[in-house]
Amino acid sequence: MNKLRLILPALLLSLIGYAQKDIGHFSGSFDMYSQYYMKDEKTGAVLPQDKIGSNNFLKLDYSYKKFTAGVQFEAYLPSIAGYPYAINDAKLINKYIRYDQQKFSLIVGDFYEQFGSGLVFRSWENRPIGINNAIQGVNFRLAPLKFLDLKVIYGRQRKVLDYASSNIRGIDANIDFSKINAKTKVTGGVSVVSRYQLYTGPDPNFPSTVNAISTRMDISGSSTSLSLEYVNKGKDPHEANGYDQTSGEAFLSHLTYTKNNFGATLSLRALENMDYRAEREDMQSVGLMNYLPALTRQHDYLTTNIYVYNAQAMGEIGGQLDMFYNAPKGSGIGGKFGSQFSMNFSHYRGHDDPDKLFSVGDTKYFHDLNFEWKKKWSEKWTTVFLYQNLFYNKLIIEGEPVPDVKTNTVVLNTIYKYAKKKAFRFELQHLATKDDRGNWGAALTEFTFAPKLSFYLSDLYNYGKTDTHYYNFGGSYTQGGTRFGLSYGRQRAGLFCVGGVCRYVPAATGFTATLTTTFN
Amino acid sequence: MYKFYLSILLSFLIYNTSSAQNALPDTKIKSLQGNEVIFNSFGNTRDTAVIISFWATWCIPCIQELNTIHDQYEDRQKETPFRFIAISIDDARTMQKVKPFVAGKGWPYEIYLDVNSDLKRALNIIDVPHILVIKNGKIVYQHNGYVNGNEEELFEILKKI
Repeated sequence: MNKLRLILPALLLSLIGYAQKDIGHFSGSFDMYSQYYMKDEKTGAVLPQDKIGSNNFLKLDYSYKKFTAGVQFEAYLPSIAGYPYAINDAKLINKYIRYDQQKFSLIVGDFYEQFGSGLVFRSWENRPIGINNAIQGVNFRLAPLKFLDLKVIYGRQRKVLDYASSNIRGIDANIDFSKINAKTKVTGGVSVVSRYQLYTGPDPNFPSTVNAISTRMDISGSSTSLSLEYVNKGKDPHEANGYDQTSGEAFLSHLTYTKNNFGATLSLRALENMDYRAEREDMQSVGLMNYLPALTRQHDYLTTNIYVYNAQAMGEIGGQLDMFYNAPKGSGIGGKFGSQFSMNFSHYRGHDDPDKLFSVGDTKYFHDLNFEWKKKWSEKWTTVFLYQNLFYNKLIIEGEPVPDVKTNTVVLNTIYKYAKKKAFRFELQHLATKDDRGNWGAALTEFTFAPKLSFYLSDLYNYGKTDTHYYNFGGSYTQGGTRFGLSYGRQRAGLFCVGGVCRYVPAATGFTATLTTTFN
Repeated sequence: MYKFYLSILLSFLIYNTSSAQNALPDTKIKSLQGNEVIFNSFGNTRDTAVIISFWATWCIPCIQELNTIHDQYEDRQKETPFRFIAISIDDARTMQKVKPFVAGKGWPYEIYLDVNSDLKRALNIIDVPHILVIKNGKIVYQHNGYVNGNEEELFEILKKI
């Protein structure tokens, strides 16, 4: 009996312990974005037949030792207004199993992958803007030598709640020369991507397979680094490039310099016929195989998000320069609490000869010169001042034949922290222009009670021509990894940052409810 | 009877060693120098709490949070020592700005890049900013979003754990 007393609890508890160890690990998330639409003649927001839109995502992952498996369930009941596709359906769409080891990993199922900067290939997810071009198939990553990394993909791209009728395969190799023999870090990379889609038309020379090759090199020292990438894409006639019979090219470079409290980066990029899709018939944001982001400053205020550049895959040349400076606490410029400065300039134009990658044309597409100054005045007060001068070719960027838009914008953002966990924020903004829809003014106030509650009230006012108020008010409640938000108002499309989170919202009038939760 | 207690003690020891597993994903992220680090390895800092902040250069509340914690960094470190890791989810559009941006803020943090959101996805994080506190290989606290004063709760938690 005594022995039993000794063994039994020990056995039991170690069994529990063993079970605990072997039970694996569950994690997941739920993300809901629902809107109730109301008729609004003033903003011209289109009232959908079903007045409710609701996008829901449930993701579950389970890991056990070196294995991870997961699923994603998506329900569009129906999809929210302004979403790239009108869906009224629900589906368990993404599923995967992954096996990981130090030098080797394998995914079977739906996966996300990127080669280099994504200029040649990127599969990714961005729920607010409705992008999920995961690849269903096999993804293999291998590090056979300490200086060599290999990635292989083979599969078909996700299209809405189904799959594109083409096959995508690719291989990517990265060599780290510094691991062979070098003081400066030098890496080189090559990627080859190929897409096959059956062609049944009459043209005997029509390419059913389109290949693209990227070569890259990165050199980085202690304060300076340089990265270069060149992509060549074969003849790829398809809908989005107007069945252009020529090949495509891209060049991208970044030069970065950092020193104590100072940093700068210069990016240059040229694109020519670089639209690359899973299916020839795809348009807009559907079926994208590569990633061609606008290399401009990503703004986050109401008035600086009205005229946003979109990279011109068919042809553009330009670049941007960023500079950041920190005046530390106690320095002459920094004062007692420190101060920060940043500056950004971007400029993009068309080509002179559409087939020459580095030819600079006469048509200007966009420029943005902006300057930001952040200053902490006391323990309680902080202000951010932003000035922006912008040029926007609306015909090229949005296809709307109106004269070029030139604007000057000022933003003042003030934060007053009146108690340890309580703060008040106030924004005043003005965009001045004689062009397009004329001037915009904006004001926003936000009251926050950390860590759980926040309320806001904002108005973006387009005056002189349309005299439209885009008012909004709402609040949010956060508890750990769970957040609930409710708001009412008029929204124009753009990145909207309030209560601590940034999100892209489409044009609509009505109520919006959001719920996000993470458990891990 | 003491044998009974001894056996319980023994089995607890077995239980503890067997359950001292690390549930963090072994996703790879990159340092600003381009070196790969396995996220899982951040769980090995024994008794020191590790604060992980997911942020982006274009996210105003993220920058507010990192600036605020920077202002209090030395004082807070004296209260309860911690390791602070800021993981940027900037993608190819803005990732080149991360290094100069951090220099131009004078931040003292260890910075990593999660360029195609592999880690963000593995941890089921939806929006930035998102803070995690890891101790002994386990996530003991998390918070989504940032408003002024959230850091008070964060450092209160740090003292308790």
